[in-house]
Amino acid sequence: MINDDPGARDLVAIALHSFREAILPVVPAEQRFTALMIANALGTAERELTAGTRAEPALAAAVGGLLGEDGDLPTLLPRLCAAIGAGRFDAPDRQTALRAVLKDITRARLAVSNPKRLAAEGQGDERRGDGR
Amino acid sequence: MSGAPELEPVRKTALEFWLAGQAGARSVAVIDEGRLGGGAISLNLAVTLEIDGGPLSGRHACVLRTGSASGVSASLGKVEEAAVLRAVFAAGATVPQPLFVGADPAMLGAPFYIMRRASGIAAGFRIVKSEEPQRALARELGRQLGLIHRVRPGAKGLGFLALPEPAAALQATADFRRWAGRHAASDPVLAYGLRWLERNAPPPGDLVLCHRDYRTGNYMVDDAIGGGRLTAVIDWEFAGWSDPMEDLGWFCAACWRFGRNDREAGGIADRADLYAGYEETAGRRVDPKAVAYWEAAACMRWAVIAIQQADRHLSGTEPSLELALTGRMLPDIEMDLLRHLDGVGASL
Repeated sequence: MINDDPGARDLVAIALHSFREAILPVVPAEQRFTALMIANALGTAERELTAGTRAEPALAAAVGGLLGEDGDLPTLLPRLCAAIGAGRFDAPDRQTALRAVLKDITRARLAVSNPKRLAAEGQGDERRGDGR
Repeated sequence: MSGAPELEPVRKTALEFWLAGQAGARSVAVIDEGRLGGGAISLNLAVTLEIDGGPLSGRHACVLRTGSASGVSASLGKVEEAAVLRAVFAAGATVPQPLFVGADPAMLGAPFYIMRRASGIAAGFRIVKSEEPQRALARELGRQLGLIHRVRPGAKGLGFLALPEPAAALQATADFRRWAGRHAASDPVLAYGLRWLERNAPPPGDLVLCHRDYRTGNYMVDDAIGGGRLTAVIDWEFAGWSDPMEDLGWFCAACWRFGRNDREAGGIADRADLYAGYEETAGRRVDPKAVAYWEAAACMRWAVIAIQQADRHLSGTEPSLELALTGRMLPDIEMDLLRHLDGVGASL
């Protein structure tokens, strides 16, 4: 087997680390916004490569539960969209169940795109829980 | 904030010649002070006009505004945008006065207009930084919106703006569905949001001129730290006829609070201040249920705009890191929508 290590995730991670340590502190003010966007993009890419498809089976099970069907997430999501469009989730209790699963899906995506927001979401849930 | 000149010398000369004719002046000198920040869709140049002769003789700090290579579906052309600005300026709203409209794309490469330059800052993250809530500013923004909403269908010079069919909410939802395209078939949050908006649309009511991007970040404030004085409502490229509650919903939507979720009116104050100012000038009451509907619509609109921004990058027409990252804001926007629908319940 040919050795192509370090792989994409590791390369992006160390590139981001070096960028933050060595470049960002000396970037002139007028380039700072672009530099921060670069760090943001690399961070998202690193988290996406780290996360892979690990969250998908649990989410597929939740979506499958709503639909009463089995399948993987890429198969089930278009079916869920079609079921929503056909009115199968119009009843208030069905909407509540649907929103709970949609929030789980969205949290998994936030873990990649904006983990700070995800942390704030968690606190929000606790506060909500305490209040009720 | 200004920088290197942007206008090519040949174009600047052509512009000066044309402006002299427009202004009835002996001559006009354009001092190009470079690009101003803000605007993923428009290009704003700081220019100072030195007008010699005619009714506008003198020195004027201005902004030259023109389009970028690709826009998003909802945006007006620059000539139309200038007509909207003229109408709201005439209605007494605090907006930059448009001075010259260049409809001929040959002159600068795209249609443009020149307006007076307002002072202050627009950056949302800076405006929301104040220690105390900015109640007077929120009230004034409410009053301004009321003035803007006095412009009604039939107003002179705005015949190019289409009326919504069959009603503002259903037209908006149909637009969102069209812009979402294939994504609505694979992203269940979009599918759910669209379904909810269709089933809960408020009945047709008043139609007024809506700004449709009326939010913190799109108005300018002098002395933000000391309480903030409004100097201009800007960025009119999305204006159109709609339900007046749409602009209030957009202003208050979670996505435009810049992290200040405790201040529901655009991250600056409570809704009560905004609503009170609005009712002073608009001649109508705020309908909180309709505002809640339009807040859901605001999340959906922002979601489909983010998708379109990402597509501008993905299609190769305008490769841009900023546009690419806007696409990855979708989960944030969708979480805002889901939280909002949790709050208002299954239906209004």
